[in-house]
Amino acid sequence: MTELNRRDFLKVSAVTGAATVFAAGCAGAPDVAAESIAEERPRERMALLMDNSLCVNCQACRLACQNENMLPVERKYIRFDYIDKGRFPNTTHHVNRHSCQHCGNAPCIDVCPVDALYKGQEGFTHVDFEACIGCQLCGTVCPFDVPVYNEDPRSGAWKMYKCSACEHLVSQGGTPACASTCMTEAVQYGTWEEMLAKAESRVAQLRDKHPQAEVYGSTQQDGLGLLLVLRTPAADYPHLV
Amino acid sequence: MAIDRRTFFKRTAGITAAAAALNFIDMKAWAQTVEDGPVEVKPSMCNMCTSECGMQIHVKNGRAWKVTGHPDHGISRGKLCPRAHAGLHWIYDPGRVKTPLKRVGEWEFEAISWEQATDEIADKLKAILDEHGQEAVFGAQYPRTTGTLYLNRFMHSLGVATTMTHEASCQSARQLGMTHTFGAAYDADWRHAKYLLFVGRNMGEGIKTGSANCFAAAVANGAKIVCLDPRLNQSAAITEWVPIRPGTDLAFLLAVSNILVTENLFDRDFIRNHTNGFVNFRREITQYTPEWAAGITGIPEDKIREIAYDLADNAPHCAVDTGWKAAVGSNFANGTDTARAVAYINALLGNLGQLGGLYAPLGAIVAEPNFPSPAVPTGVRNDGVGTEFPVAPPTGLPHVTMQRAKEGKVKAGFVRHFNPVRSFPDYEHMRAGMRALDLLVVFETHMSETAIEADYILPEPSFAEREEIIKTDGATVCMRTKVVDKVHPETKSFDEIITLLAQKMGVGQYFEFSLDDWNEALLAEQPFSLADLKRMGSTQGLTYDEPVVPGGCGNLLPGDKPAPPTMHPRVFLASNDRNPVPPLGTPSGLFEFFSQRFAQAGFNGIAEWREPETGLSLGANEFRVIHGKQGYHSHVCTANIPMLAQITKDYDTNRIWMNAERASALGVSDNDTVRLRAKNGRTAEVRIMVTERIHPDMLFAPAGYGNRSPYLEVSQALGGFNPHDLCDFRTEPISGHAMMSELIVAVESV
Ligand code: SF4
Ligand code: SF4
Ligand code: SF4
Repeated sequence: MTELNRRDFLKVSAVTGAATVFAAGCAGAPDVAAESIAEERPRERMALLMDNSLCVNCQACRLACQNENMLPVERKYIRFDYIDKGRFPNTTHHVNRHSCQHCGNAPCIDVCPVDALYKGQEGFTHVDFEACIGCQLCGTVCPFDVPVYNEDPRSGAWKMYKCSACEHLVSQGGTPACASTCMTEAVQYGTWEEMLAKAESRVAQLRDKHPQAEVYGSTQQDGLGLLLVLRTPAADYPHLV
Repeated sequence: MAIDRRTFFKRTAGITAAAAALNFIDMKAWAQTVEDGPVEVKPSMCNMCTSECGMQIHVKNGRAWKVTGHPDHGISRGKLCPRAHAGLHWIYDPGRVKTPLKRVGEWEFEAISWEQATDEIADKLKAILDEHGQEAVFGAQYPRTTGTLYLNRFMHSLGVATTMTHEASCQSARQLGMTHTFGAAYDADWRHAKYLLFVGRNMGEGIKTGSANCFAAAVANGAKIVCLDPRLNQSAAITEWVPIRPGTDLAFLLAVSNILVTENLFDRDFIRNHTNGFVNFRREITQYTPEWAAGITGIPEDKIREIAYDLADNAPHCAVDTGWKAAVGSNFANGTDTARAVAYINALLGNLGQLGGLYAPLGAIVAEPNFPSPAVPTGVRNDGVGTEFPVAPPTGLPHVTMQRAKEGKVKAGFVRHFNPVRSFPDYEHMRAGMRALDLLVVFETHMSETAIEADYILPEPSFAEREEIIKTDGATVCMRTKVVDKVHPETKSFDEIITLLAQKMGVGQYFEFSLDDWNEALLAEQPFSLADLKRMGSTQGLTYDEPVVPGGCGNLLPGDKPAPPTMHPRVFLASNDRNPVPPLGTPSGLFEFFSQRFAQAGFNGIAEWREPETGLSLGANEFRVIHGKQGYHSHVCTANIPMLAQITKDYDTNRIWMNAERASALGVSDNDTVRLRAKNGRTAEVRIMVTERIHPDMLFAPAGYGNRSPYLEVSQALGGFNPHDLCDFRTEPISGHAMMSELIVAVESV
């Protein structure tokens, strides 16, 4: 199930005033062309792929994101969970990126009373930071415990912080900052189908040594905009369900 | 471990994430960056480690806002490591040195004019040279093109022979061992390798962006990769971890050679045609059986055999990576021989110049600038290189020079962009050496541990506010350009400062050129102009037909002379499946199992087993202390950067790792504070992280913490431990390096 929820999408249009109809997830041309700036861009659903089996925990993605989105030093959209398995000398260590999963069907959007959360044409859940009133409702429904609430140092108002998939970049056909910087190419960006295919072939390769390796996000919440490659079962990670 | 990790993380993730921020955020600067405004993209180079990745600085409202990798730079290839992003802080850091400073008391300074500073320095230096001679003076730096050209030229023009870099605390043993076997320290062609063995090297955390990219590509390609390390580091985490007793990598490597030789699993053609000393080597190596090595290293004999057979099966498209610091570098008494033992295995595999083996890239053509040069001094050095340490590399021994300073034999030092007081063991030794000098001049942007011991601190603009001498790296030609205006108008770039000092010292004739003059001359044989390069920042240049011989830290342009282009015929091209083997850079032109040069100097001609100087036996509460990198910190200079310090704080990563079983035997729990007591009686209190990811014999101290300069406030607030506080001043016998992991401590409860 890779299509965006149409109702969600219409909500987007209401907020952005851009497109009216949007078909996502198919490799070919969209059914109906959207208006304005979006006209020449492919209107496919896009995805970030986090291949945790290549991540060396360097934190460049977090920092690139902080600079890109001009976050104060102590706020970050990208966090990590770490797990160790086994006892010395048979220990293994695994990381998993914990940030907005960009649910295809995003409950946070449904509950936001001021429409501060909305879907973009690429299928990501964006945030209208100015509109957010910091009510914390989205945090109560997010299946992945993503939204963090904190004071905006400029206005002093309470706001929700979460990855917005670099809306200003992806909406112009660009690549999110985390994917641009990652030297191991653990973070990649492309069409949802392409990223899913990459994830699946990587997992097939990993299964030799890691029989429990899996792709996470092909079905959860109608497909996640942040797909994960995991070497051990999702249940091992504190923020995955 | 007692706690179920899953629940543990569930409960604590929130807590650590919400922990209070470090209170050193420049809110005004941040608010200015957040403002909307036109963005200009300007080329530069990262300044956070020696690799100097090409990057673009995006400037908004005249302020550096963010960085992206330069797609045309051979190392960054459009990617950047964490430190590059955080490095912008160095431009606007309120703690920068803003004017020339003169020491007026213990760690106290007053601002003075450039005129006063350079007059006083020149007067004092002249007096020292008159009274004590050129041997009493040294120049030391973290090597960069501009520093290498100007500081070495300045020293040479005064007849001073002692010019040094940081490498005795880094990879000098590797350089030495590789130079006296292969003739140079070649990297592995990681990207194309079918099998790679890393000996203590951690590509994902000891980062050079492009190398990490190749390493990860090999992982993604499904290459078999083994990381030999006493600690499950982040590179081992995504490959296969083979834990080894710290300090014993040499035994393991000798046993692998033993298997390859005794079971006839080596490249007979390569050995016959391109090596010398093999017959003696074959005789010596028989003593190092896998059974023997298993006893020393703790690695099962079967595992040693498996690795040797895997190497043989994949030869020549495989490699034992030549390492950097760690086992083959400046950590142990056996570093140099460990490097030679790495070389031996690669020779047996016959992988030189083979796809996936060892190789060197073609280097960009650099012309030789034709300006009057001082003669390279032939006098005696004050760091023992060439005398007490007859084969030690010319990158020098700053820790030995400090000993000579304490003895009253060295009187003046010039230190640029280098912090040996904090980066060498032991802190008190290095500090006392600096204080014993009559004149210490430090060129710095920040109040480092070395700067605060100086008589004069001369401030440079930050990396984004100045131009520098062109650098090449393989085919890449790149340079640092001026991206933003000077933040502190009183700062002067290094070329300006040295030219000024040289004029005052009466050797101005060697500096009658500008940065542009020199750079233009270097580009004489390239199809683009200096103006073009300033616009592009990084580009691929015309190359020599032959590969460049790898230098020390990166392929720096030597200050006065480009690498001789005719040294090696065209061979090491990774694009060919099998390449002919060239004459090598050794005295014999062959790979040297036996080094005549070593033997003549009184060392073993063939690498042989030796224990770490501190031995291998440990008492019930004793541990060896090993330091190593986290990907988000560089050396001893980044813990003061708020964005990076915040990562440390968020994940509590400046604790000392202790093996879970040892911890439970000692009654130590996660997060406990314990006291470490070194044999010299020194102590330090540290907080422990109990983990299954580490060998029972060792404590792991993440490097880069424990700044002592009171001016580095963020780092001070962050806290942490630097093992150099406890470690003794020592010298490894062959390369003279600082033996930074020859430290055993007893753990006591507090
Ligand atoms: S930049 Fe890449 S390797 Fe580094 S932490 Fe992020 S995902 Fe991992
Ligand atoms: S992960 Fe949470 S915040 Fe992100 S889209 Fe899904 S519900 Fe919303
Ligand atoms: S490896 Fe990282 S710190 Fe070093 S130069 Fe490259 S981006 Fe900068």
